[in-house]
Amino acid sequence: MRAKYVLSEVAVGLWRNISMTIAMIITMAVSLTMLGAGLLMYFQVQSMEAYYRGQVEIIVYLNHEITEEDEVKGQLEESLIGDPMVKTVEFKTKEEAWTDFQELFADAPDLVESVDKDRLPASFEVSLNNMDDADEFIAKYEGFGDGAVERIMNQRDALEEVFGLMGGVQRLSLILALVQGIAALLLVANTIQVAAYSKRREVSIMKLVGASNWFVQAPFVLEAVFAGLIGAILAFLALVAGKAFLVDGTFKALFDIMTEMSWTRIWLMLPILAGIASVISAITGWVTLRFQVKV
Amino acid sequence: MIRLEHVTKHYARSNRPSIEDINVSIEKGEFVFFIGPTGAGKSTIIKLLLREEVPNKGKVWVNDKEVTGMRRWKVPAFRRSLGCVFQDFRLLPHRTAAENVAFALEVIGKPKTVARRVVPEVMDLVGLGGKEHRYPHELSGGEQQRVAIARAFVNRPLILLADEPTGNLDPDTSIEIMRLLDRINRTGTTIVMVTHDSNIVNQMRRRVIEIEGGHVVRDQARGVYG
Repeated sequence: MRAKYVLSEVAVGLWRNISMTIAMIITMAVSLTMLGAGLLMYFQVQSMEAYYRGQVEIIVYLNHEITEEDEVKGQLEESLIGDPMVKTVEFKTKEEAWTDFQELFADAPDLVESVDKDRLPASFEVSLNNMDDADEFIAKYEGFGDGAVERIMNQRDALEEVFGLMGGVQRLSLILALVQGIAALLLVANTIQVAAYSKRREVSIMKLVGASNWFVQAPFVLEAVFAGLIGAILAFLALVAGKAFLVDGTFKALFDIMTEMSWTRIWLMLPILAGIASVISAITGWVTLRFQVKV
Repeated sequence: MIRLEHVTKHYARSNRPSIEDINVSIEKGEFVFFIGPTGAGKSTIIKLLLREEVPNKGKVWVNDKEVTGMRRWKVPAFRRSLGCVFQDFRLLPHRTAAENVAFALEVIGKPKTVARRVVPEVMDLVGLGGKEHRYPHELSGGEQQRVAIARAFVNRPLILLADEPTGNLDPDTSIEIMRLLDRINRTGTTIVMVTHDSNIVNQMRRRVIEIEGGHVVRDQARGVYG
């Protein structure tokens, strides 16, 4: 009976103040969408880092005039193989470089056409035992064979730029989530104040006859929790739409070069967002009642 | 039953009446009037007894419980041992007389079966048998106050507090309400009533405590308004 009473009070409360309820739910949904996007981005960076950490290599490009037969190539290879920092060494000939180049730019035949096959360098793809030694490694081999080494590229530097960009997007979405979240919580506080005011008679009588504090407060707190849950569901739907239309749609090409963002991870957002939304709404509601409305 | 010891209450940011060093002791089953001019601090005493307010100094005992230091979560259970009526009745306009009384039981978690049994009893006791299903606006002022008394008494409290219960009623109706309160008092319920209705005080001839400027200036058994 009491549960029924509390629930009907919640429904009446939300309906009586419907415009405020909608405003509260929308801001909550936007905030939670941003939070969800930020979290997904965070997971994405984590998994990409784990995935690529095992794969990053250092590429030692030889001067394009040096071929497989040159003596200096053999010296370098020997030196690399004998180096304690190095785990594996793989040589890529000029021909292989050319084939890779053609594959990579298969969509742009004009570009392929305009490049002189001879200009592509042979290279060593080196993986280190410990990628933290990369700088030492580069310093050691940069000047090898008096200009025989053209350039040494650390793939991690390039990856870190991508991660940096993703980290920036992630931070931006979390800041937006925070700002929107504050707006949402202020709306929750306001909604509860209005609700408590419109029910002040009932509340004063309940307190007078000794209704327990939780019984007086529950309808108001549940109103906030309910709005939070609806907001979380809307945010989840927004993330699903984002995955379907952006990640797998418009920006498919961009996301294809990353590790896959799985549906499982999207689904995981539902309980996370719902949990965060309901707990924070409940706390805001309770604090408003306890310290502002003094219910 | 009720004891105030050196109780002082000031309101920091308002000019609501304050009280100074009040010492009062009320026994079980007594019927006590607090009288005095408007702004003397009478209603402040009711607020202290209900623990709506906490004194700045001194201690308040109600039902042998020291309420000034009472934990917040214990207050609801404490209030269930009190009944309280006010000048403005404080009924819910969209509930019938019987529903108003039942509301007091509902919100403290009493099952519906209890309400079905005790609400008609208490409606009869206050003389509203047959009018249970009327809404407050369909009842006279005296009848509304009877509903309020029924609601205050339905939990059989040990103490009934009444803050100017006849303030909005004509003299004849006031006397009927006083008869009802007297009958409740005879069941052993302690009654503390704040009033400045001299007729009533003079007719009832009960203990009178007069407050003026926040001080007790008279405490007299079987007193008159003076």
